Amino acid sequence: MRRVLLAVGLPIVLVALWWFASADSTNFYFPPLSKIITVFPATWFGPRLVDDVLPSLARLGIGYAAALVTGIGLGALIGANRWVRALVEPLLEFLRAVPPPVLVPILMLMAGIGDMMKVLVILSGCLWPILLNTVEGVRAVDEVLTDTCRSYRIRGRLRLWHLVLRSASPQIVAGARQALSIGIILMVISEMFAASSGIGFTVIQFKDGFRIPQMWSGVLLLGLLGVLLALLFRLAERRVLGWYHGIRAVQKER
Amino acid sequence: MLTVRELSKTYDAKGRRVEAIGDVSFTVAAGEFVCVVGPSGCGKTTLLRCIAGLLAPTSGEVYVEDKVVAGPPDGLAVVFQEYGRSLFPWLRVADNVDLPLRAAGMAKAKRRELVAEALDAVGLADAHSAYPWQLSGGMQQRVAIARAIAYQPRVLLMDEPFAAVDAQTRADLEDLIRSVWARFGMTLLFVTHDIDESVYLGQRVVMLSSSPTTVAEDLTIDLPPTRDQLGTRSDPRFTELRGQVYAQIQKAKQEHT
Repeated sequence: MRRVLLAVGLPIVLVALWWFASADSTNFYFPPLSKIITVFPATWFGPRLVDDVLPSLARLGIGYAAALVTGIGLGALIGANRWVRALVEPLLEFLRAVPPPVLVPILMLMAGIGDMMKVLVILSGCLWPILLNTVEGVRAVDEVLTDTCRSYRIRGRLRLWHLVLRSASPQIVAGARQALSIGIILMVISEMFAASSGIGFTVIQFKDGFRIPQMWSGVLLLGLLGVLLALLFRLAERRVLGWYHGIRAVQKER
Repeated sequence: MLTVRELSKTYDAKGRRVEAIGDVSFTVAAGEFVCVVGPSGCGKTTLLRCIAGLLAPTSGEVYVEDKVVAGPPDGLAVVFQEYGRSLFPWLRVADNVDLPLRAAGMAKAKRRELVAEALDAVGLADAHSAYPWQLSGGMQQRVAIARAIAYQPRVLLMDEPFAAVDAQTRADLEDLIRSVWARFGMTLLFVTHDIDESVYLGQRVVMLSSSPTTVAEDLTIDLPPTRDQLGTRSDPRFTELRGQVYAQIQKAKQEHT
């Protein structure tokens, strides 16, 4: 209970501050918060929910899921094989250093301006933290546990799952968490270049049409979506890494 | 059942050749309980890893059931010293014991039966759904022993399995392993650095020299088959045998220094 209060305390104070500080605002570009909230439901819970919010989220979901599958798959392959790792690691470090938004024009040329391009932009940004963390995690698999699998003839799919991936799962989850915030950023950016739908696209439209409270409500929506997705991630993490947090709690006690 | 013939192992450590095992030969009969004891740093773990097929010897062979060992042999289980690292922390106790059986493609009903029997044999019948890290060190090693039992090995190797637990737990586990051996009748090779433990547990004690390791002496332990911590350890014959092993180990240490 106290933890919940502490967690939401500061945001409540800041929102209140915003509310009262902007209450008498006559500045066209900084409308009162009350006005932004008033336009919020009509702006986003109408047809735009289906036309813009859901397409954005679907592209994020597909791009992120593709990054998870590719990143974990390739990462397990690279991490488990010393030669492959030595061969491709410098290249991976370079590719990771390329800022993904810069790929948008290139991907537009290659994949057009449709959904495919946006999914690829999200994938190309989310992939690296997942891939590199998986490589790190897979490479650090415990030797005794590896010997155990050899002795007890645990091979193939059981070995891949119970030895390689589960061992690496704390790192994989850390990478996936980074990738999620990158994915949200890229979801918006990819829609600001060439798009006909999406939250990013709509925010730009509001800006161009001088519908400033609506534009602000889009920013608010993106912030709320970010928080919601982070919460969902936390729930998933608790399921996947329950054992890991359990060990850490036990170690802290001793 | 288990034969080690002229086994040697040398490592290349930064251009310097280190001879870990010089020349080791011994045999273990089917159903026998043999302890291997030696001074610290004599390559006991290296020897055990060679027997388990986890490490290729430089020369010489290991035979398990008349088949030369090249890779982990069939019907052989290992209990490692580092119980905390040899159990899967993301699997519950019963699933840890079950995993090798699943890998062997055994039917579910049979697996469940073996897991229950093995956990019962080590006194963990009520810990099926706990995670290993929720248990004490001694109990974790019991889980590792249960996993080995459920695997139904004909040969069981144990690598200083009780080195990391406290003295009282250790005594309990020693008696446990005697009872497991009596009940399941596997061939058991138990590596330890503890002289008392080797004499208390084994039917035979193979003493190793310091590195480069050879067999210093092979001693039959003619204590009665039923052993208990108080009676056996106060038996004059126990003291005598223990003294013999102790003297031999001391001698082995001095020869190399």
